[in-house]
Amino acid sequence: MKFRITFVFFVFLSIFYGSAQQGTVSGTVNDGEFNDVLPFANVLVKGSSKGTTSDFDGKYTLNLEPGTYTIVYSFLGYETKEITEVNVNPGSETIVDVTLNPASSQLDEVVVVTTASKNTEASVLNLQKRSVALLDGLSIQSIKRSGASDIASAVKSVPGVSVQGGKFVYVRGLGDRYTKSILNGVDVPGLDPDRNTLQLDIFPTNILDNIIVVKSSTADQPADFTGGVVDIVTKDLPTKEEYSISLGVGYNSTMHFNNDYLSYEGSDTDFLGFDDGLRDLPIQQSTEIPIPAQDGVTVRQLTRRFESTLAAQQEQSLMNFNFGFTAGNQYNLNEDGTKRLGYLASISYRNTTEFYEDYINGQVFRKDDQDRSVLELIDDRTQIGDLGINSILLNGLAGISLKTEQSKYKLNVLHIQNGESNASYLRQENFSVNSNVNFRDVLVYTERSITNVLLNGLHTNQDASWSTEWKIAPTLSRIYDKDFRVTPFLANDNGTFTISPSEAGDPTRIWRDLQEINLAGKLDITRKHQLFGRDAKLKFGGAYTYKQRDFVVDQFAFPVQSRGSNFSLQFGGDADQVLALDNIYALDTGEGTYVRRDSNISDTFDSEISVSAAYLSEEFKLSSRLNAILGVRMEMFDLKYTGERQDGTRLEDEQILDKTDFFPSANFIYDLNEDANKKVRASYSRTTARPSFKEASIAEIFDPVSSTFFIGNIDIQPTYINNYDIRFESYGEGNNFFAVSGFYKTFDDPIEVQFIREARGQFRPLNLGDAKVFGAELEIRRNLGFIPGWEDFNLNANISIIESQQNFSENEEDARRDNLREGETLDDNRQLQGQSPYLINFGVNYDNEDNGWQAGLFYNVQGETLEIVGNGDIPDVFTQPFHNLKLNFSKEFGKEIQHKISLNFSNILNDDIESFYKSFGAEDRIFSFRSPGQTISLGYSMQF
Amino acid sequence: MKKVIFAMSIVGMLALVSCGDDDNDPIEPVATCNDGVQNQGETGLDCGGPNCQACEVEPTCTDGIQNGDEAGVDCGGSCPEVCDTTGGIIEVSENITSDTTWNADNIYELQGRITVTNGATLTIEAGTIIKAFAGTGANASVLIIARGANIEALGTATQPIVFTSVADNIELGQTAGTNLTENDRGLWGGLIVLGNAPVSLDGDATEAQIEGIPASDTNGLYGGNDDADDSGTIQYVSIRHGGALIGEGNEINGLTLGGVGSGTTIDNVEVVGNVDDGIEFFGGSVNASNLFVWAQGDDAIDIDQAYSGTITNVVVVQGNISDHALEIDGPEGSLDGAFTLTDVTLFGLDQNVSEGEIADYRSNAQGSTSNVLVTGFTGIGQIEVDGEMTDLVLSDVELDNDGVAANYTAGELTFSAWEIVLPEGVTSSDEIFDDRSDVGSSFETDAATFSSSVADTASATVGANTSAFSWTYSNNTANLGF
Repeated sequence: MKFRITFVFFVFLSIFYGSAQQGTVSGTVNDGEFNDVLPFANVLVKGSSKGTTSDFDGKYTLNLEPGTYTIVYSFLGYETKEITEVNVNPGSETIVDVTLNPASSQLDEVVVVTTASKNTEASVLNLQKRSVALLDGLSIQSIKRSGASDIASAVKSVPGVSVQGGKFVYVRGLGDRYTKSILNGVDVPGLDPDRNTLQLDIFPTNILDNIIVVKSSTADQPADFTGGVVDIVTKDLPTKEEYSISLGVGYNSTMHFNNDYLSYEGSDTDFLGFDDGLRDLPIQQSTEIPIPAQDGVTVRQLTRRFESTLAAQQEQSLMNFNFGFTAGNQYNLNEDGTKRLGYLASISYRNTTEFYEDYINGQVFRKDDQDRSVLELIDDRTQIGDLGINSILLNGLAGISLKTEQSKYKLNVLHIQNGESNASYLRQENFSVNSNVNFRDVLVYTERSITNVLLNGLHTNQDASWSTEWKIAPTLSRIYDKDFRVTPFLANDNGTFTISPSEAGDPTRIWRDLQEINLAGKLDITRKHQLFGRDAKLKFGGAYTYKQRDFVVDQFAFPVQSRGSNFSLQFGGDADQVLALDNIYALDTGEGTYVRRDSNISDTFDSEISVSAAYLSEEFKLSSRLNAILGVRMEMFDLKYTGERQDGTRLEDEQILDKTDFFPSANFIYDLNEDANKKVRASYSRTTARPSFKEASIAEIFDPVSSTFFIGNIDIQPTYINNYDIRFESYGEGNNFFAVSGFYKTFDDPIEVQFIREARGQFRPLNLGDAKVFGAELEIRRNLGFIPGWEDFNLNANISIIESQQNFSENEEDARRDNLREGETLDDNRQLQGQSPYLINFGVNYDNEDNGWQAGLFYNVQGETLEIVGNGDIPDVFTQPFHNLKLNFSKEFGKEIQHKISLNFSNILNDDIESFYKSFGAEDRIFSFRSPGQTISLGYSMQF
Repeated sequence: MKKVIFAMSIVGMLALVSCGDDDNDPIEPVATCNDGVQNQGETGLDCGGPNCQACEVEPTCTDGIQNGDEAGVDCGGSCPEVCDTTGGIIEVSENITSDTTWNADNIYELQGRITVTNGATLTIEAGTIIKAFAGTGANASVLIIARGANIEALGTATQPIVFTSVADNIELGQTAGTNLTENDRGLWGGLIVLGNAPVSLDGDATEAQIEGIPASDTNGLYGGNDDADDSGTIQYVSIRHGGALIGEGNEINGLTLGGVGSGTTIDNVEVVGNVDDGIEFFGGSVNASNLFVWAQGDDAIDIDQAYSGTITNVVVVQGNISDHALEIDGPEGSLDGAFTLTDVTLFGLDQNVSEGEIADYRSNAQGSTSNVLVTGFTGIGQIEVDGEMTDLVLSDVELDNDGVAANYTAGELTFSAWEIVLPEGVTSSDEIFDDRSDVGSSFETDAATFSSSVADTASATVGANTSAFSWTYSNNTANLGF
């Protein structure tokens, strides 16, 4: 199979295109008066008859022979702008975005002249400037510059954004409950049974146009966000014929070509990111499994259905590699080019291999229960071992769009397929409940997929005073842990190994399947009109989201029946022997391994959520410089749950929550100068945070991985939040930008999952006492041209400082007080789980268009973060700062600059990823540790 | 346009690659136990060997199987015995919330977790058989006596009350089935009694949820302030083949006693073939006597959370996968409590290659252990396992950590009158006493005073009065001669 992929690879390589052709100039004309695009502006090539007008979207395209031009942009009542030195290269696209400001006096004709290179208004920065809400963006250019391959690693460079566990985005210290991730402006289902949010590591950057992080609410945004909305905007359609291929390899000196790498035999299609059925559930849920004493014949047959591979095997690891292909074009359907059809197709593949030696995860240390004067923590469980991970990411994106004079239609289909195969061999030592040493082989395969269809329409009337936009987006997502295998052996003092259920647990296998269907629809209507003699914009519309989630767990244990001596002795500690045919329960001897079903009905649930929303907002000017956006949104939230508790209580489509709420918002933007280059923004909004599916339930879910119980709470209520924001922004020449912001948020009845004091290892969501979060962000983007010779250097830096205060629940306060050490005092509150006290991003990049060289040095760090809230005698766990320093080089070359080679060095400081238990006066103890090593990646891309 | 076609063909090829191999393998004919062919290692036609039921021998009226023309097990049809039709099977699938009596005329089948709730009394008459369904976790069949509820399990030596699995072929009027052995474990849960007596818990919480039951079921709570709390009576009760597991550390014992008070009566209890511990005391102050544990998967007698009662006359017979005969922990919080354990006989499994130790005193154990007879445990030497010589590990009596060693030194943990039948390779009784703490104590040297060796059990002067166990299933099955 692997050869077929390699073949496709070479087909790409063998194609080479090159012919002299026209180039294009395209871009967007923006309205400086108003935070919007400017339709029907005139775009003319100076000194020629060539020209066009911007469409209702503000977009324009000019096809020109290669050369250097001056382009003139004008609109009645606005300044005229001339952009000189616009270079048009054969076959390539030059993007010129301009903003026209209203002429101060209607009689004077003002012409502003600037060169193309000084006009490089990055489109994202422009969006930021024009937005009515407070937002930060990240363009594909800057993502590429930073060398990030997935969204999770790219989005970290946005001010106030941190990423937990390499997957989950926190905005302003607020995690999945308060941060919403949406795709092209509409809701998509999450991929984690425990969280509301998306796992962003599975979104590759090659499907992206940009990422927008909205931090203040307006009425047209969903009400259930507080920290921010992360909007993943997929590639827009190209304005010309465009094809590209890319290839890349990555080498990590500690992880790759390592003979100790751990893996296990998977299915034939693992390399494509899915399992071909090898790991399918061998026994259906309805099949009853008898005990051997009742029906040995059936038990033996059922046991034999399970694949016998249970051991992690050592083999040599391979390097990372990836490749991708995109194609796009646009066709004129009529002569004047007002009717255009475009398409875009993209496919990419990534194969990543990671290997962590001496990997530590989930160690447990406790405070001394009897003697409060003992400060040092006591060992409960230590665990160390090796972990091999192979992850495949295959995705495809296809879109077509039709643009007419007054309408635009877009159909986008996205599929992401991810398969991750893990194998580990761990040594665990227990000191408390049991006192022993055991070894465990753990094999995990997780399949994740998202299929999203977006149908989008935009219509305007003749003068673009009315516009209507609608979106319909069905999405299907699935996360399936397929055959999660754990085989623990107890190590006896004399060197023998036995399966010991009471000391180390029985061998276990789990299938855990979460499927979510999501249907989102949205309608926005905008009416431009006059208010108080000035331009104003009325926006109203509605949205509807329906989500249905199914969660099913199938768990099996494999006890060993002995008659004479302990039967498991003959496995010799080899996990593959546990289900070897000779060791399966045999009727003639009455000995051997047999299967037992361990899953419970209370692990399984089926829930539905629907949110219906309607909103109204008015954007208007109180003076020529003060812009106000006032709005209100109404949302009806409805959650229905079907499931069963262990005691037999069953809820069938029971309405758990039914809320109708109004969410007011107010945003003010004051321009400090005529050019609107300096602004002050202030905003207030009320938002909500809702419980997740499983939180608002009666589910009692046992997690065999962490040996914990999650218990739903049907009395849980949504949280309501008041958000206050203020920001000063200064937009300089080109990309120069400076912003400083402050924010303050108060939470009524925040929800947090809390441990249950009287039941060790059991957790329940509760509405806790009030909380607040406040902080400040500072961002600078500066061209270093003020130092002679440094014109091609740019500096990017941002710093966020965040403080959160969460009041304790009664349970937590009691447990903390009872476990205080001598000399320790109890604080009134603690920080929110997952919130980083500070975030720092710093980058310098070099970009020379003449010689094609680019280089960048980037640094990112998150402050010490509360990862796990302590539980009685178990102290809090804090993620330690990871100092991530990266260096990238790239060079563009070729006649049409169609080739690009890039080289990327990651983790230059060779830092480790660590979490510690911290307790008063005690030495820090490790909760988890892994060493990501240093990776060198080499990439090549070609456009044709 | 050429390029478009090219692009589409590439996408198409990739799609092909990703769609391949969806076909399932053809289904091969599989040998079965009813295919009429003597295949797959069968010793007869469709019978015997590892895959099929044992070949039938001529049905008899004493084989313990309903075969031939029998109407029940070994009764009816051509058998002389007439089937007893007076009683039936009563399924118990809901909590017991009002006073209820179970009697020997019926077999009671426990289907899942059954709780006798606060205020209710469950009376079980002598000779009653309770069979429980299989399952683990929430599906495990367990009988819980919640705080404020009572059990009056009033068996007699001739008519004990039997808790066993539905797989057991024991019939009405019998005291034992024939198809299961002490090695058939984990076929159902266990008996859990929860009370309001004090318990010493982590961080001084006053109550706790018993392991394995979600906190949403508040019937799982134990612990309180009433030392003299009365949960009823448990007399002449035999608990067999239980110990279903909910996960690592969440173990169901044969008899679990959580915060049970001294007003409760517990005597003459037998636990056979449990996956986890035989009898575990989580705090509380109840006294118990005449306890017998055989072939448990973990520890026979387990004491935790400052249990402060007295246990007298105990026999433990270790099985092939047993761990410690005695596992004694102390308080977890600041509330102290000392146990008294006396008149104990521990029978080991000679030369057991997997672990199987005499006693482990751990964490902060407090109390006294006296008049103990130890015999038949593993000594020093080698044994052949799978053709390889493997070292034996001496079964010992251990002080496991600093806390327990300090308690020993402070006189809070005491030992007296231990008699040891010396295992192979051991020359003096004090060799089996081991202080593994870092702080150290005089435990090992004192052992020469509080322990002595005896030639055999007959010459011992301490230990249990075994005649009290003549009624047990174990005595009758294993011919212990008690």
